[in-house]
Amino acid sequence: MKISRRLMLSAIGIAMSAAMPGLASAEGLIAILTPSHDNPFFKAEAVGAEARAKELGYETLVLVHDDDPNKQSELFDTAIARGAKAIILDNAGADATVAAVQRAKDAGIPSFLIDREIKESGIAVSQIVSNNYQGAQLGAEEFVRLMGETGKFAELVGREADTNAGIRSSGYHDIIDQYPEMEMVAQQSANWSQTEAYEKMETILQANPEIKGVISGNDTMAMGAWAALEAAGRTDVIVVGFDGSNDVRDSIKAGGIKATVLQPAYRQAQLAVEQADQFLKTGTTGQDEKQLMDCVLINADNAAKLETFALAD
Amino acid sequence: MTCRAPHVLFVIVLGLMPLTGCKIVKTPEPGSEAAGSATATPADDAARMARMAAEIFAAKVVPFVAEQAVDLSTLRDAVAGGLDAAGAQHGHRPESEGSPWNFLVKGQGKVVKADTASRAAKLELDSDGDGVADVTVQLGPVIKGTSLRDAADFLVFTDFRDQIEFAKLARALNDEAHKALRLPEGDLTGRRFAFEGALTLRAKGDALLLVPTQLSEVP
Repeated sequence: MKISRRLMLSAIGIAMSAAMPGLASAEGLIAILTPSHDNPFFKAEAVGAEARAKELGYETLVLVHDDDPNKQSELFDTAIARGAKAIILDNAGADATVAAVQRAKDAGIPSFLIDREIKESGIAVSQIVSNNYQGAQLGAEEFVRLMGETGKFAELVGREADTNAGIRSSGYHDIIDQYPEMEMVAQQSANWSQTEAYEKMETILQANPEIKGVISGNDTMAMGAWAALEAAGRTDVIVVGFDGSNDVRDSIKAGGIKATVLQPAYRQAQLAVEQADQFLKTGTTGQDEKQLMDCVLINADNAAKLETFALAD
Repeated sequence: MTCRAPHVLFVIVLGLMPLTGCKIVKTPEPGSEAAGSATATPADDAARMARMAAEIFAAKVVPFVAEQAVDLSTLRDAVAGGLDAAGAQHGHRPESEGSPWNFLVKGQGKVVKADTASRAAKLELDSDGDGVADVTVQLGPVIKGTSLRDAADFLVFTDFRDQIEFAKLARALNDEAHKALRLPEGDLTGRRFAFEGALTLRAKGDALLLVPTQLSEVP
């Protein structure tokens, strides 16, 4: 089955490049669709993809779907109507996105996904995602170490429709649950949002003043939780995030949040554009559809080397 | 309410049901373990991956490791000359950028330190005879990492629904590795063991942390 699927993919690729002559001369338009740039993570993706696309001679169309599948669907129509040659996508839902990507494929436009998966393979050409399970385990190991392997803690979970919320929570618990002295007193979704995390953290603190640590599914929620803890005079609480944003980097350097996990978001976006370019020119990316990129633990030791979701050597 | 009747499953379900009526039978995902199995209700990710791991561990994974494993001393020499070169020669990984190298190794070593009481039990072995432990064999039940899954070239991420399912598979393979171990009684310190298994190296100086597929005392 695997083989036939790959054969089919390359066959489609070859058919497509044959149907679109003259690509090499006029590189055409690449559409870049991400969630809102309010979260610097998604902004870094858009900036990274756009920069690489321009270097490779493409025009770009940068759009945000605000995690709304309906809006995303309209943006796909826009990209199709504008005659985009390829779509770079950080999607608005693992289930809801399948139809949109299929529609683009039917219109002859290949999609290259970053950051988040969809629940089907064989529709997008590439799905390049961070190894969230590996990253979450790194973050959880650091969290357990900082907690001295004991104490009460809360977990802030991301948006439920997003596979990454589940996989990170799963990675956290595969580590933390091995320590019987670690006790989770609250687990709530703050939908990746800083303001929601602030509110949730306030409530959690009121109900559980003895809390010793907070592990968060992303950095924006970690920032929200930290702000609430600071406001309550509880800067003794250990907070660990996920993403590797500059905001959390600065907090780590100032002795606030203790650690995060870097996703190579900037490089991931560039890689998606490179694979799109190669696919348009040769009909294949030379890679498996689904690709994992390893994450890196960021703490006080290496925070200074972090800039815009990339770690300097 | 809709009644879905995927192939013969429905007939089986009807036969099992005491009364007639509608039962929603979820269509198994193509390629998933539930497809073609006799159970009417698909199990959750962890259970399905545990079943898959149980099916492939002895039948495919153990023989694959035995066939592909390089001597630990060979790997050590190769890594000394550079991790990427060693990986290209002996390693396993998907081609995608940002994946670490996984290696399948075999060798023998003398137990310098044995921790068999912990949930993350392990044997620290000296494999080069200098009296210092140089490879750690994870005994479990808690076994870290995804080395076994990632070193098995026939397990490809694209074939799985998402990272959650793929992660559960890694965990389940580690569980199988633990279950397959048969350790002798008594203090193991100073005794000699032969091993085969998988390990992952992200950087040249990384400690060798083995997930064993074979472990037996050498007389």
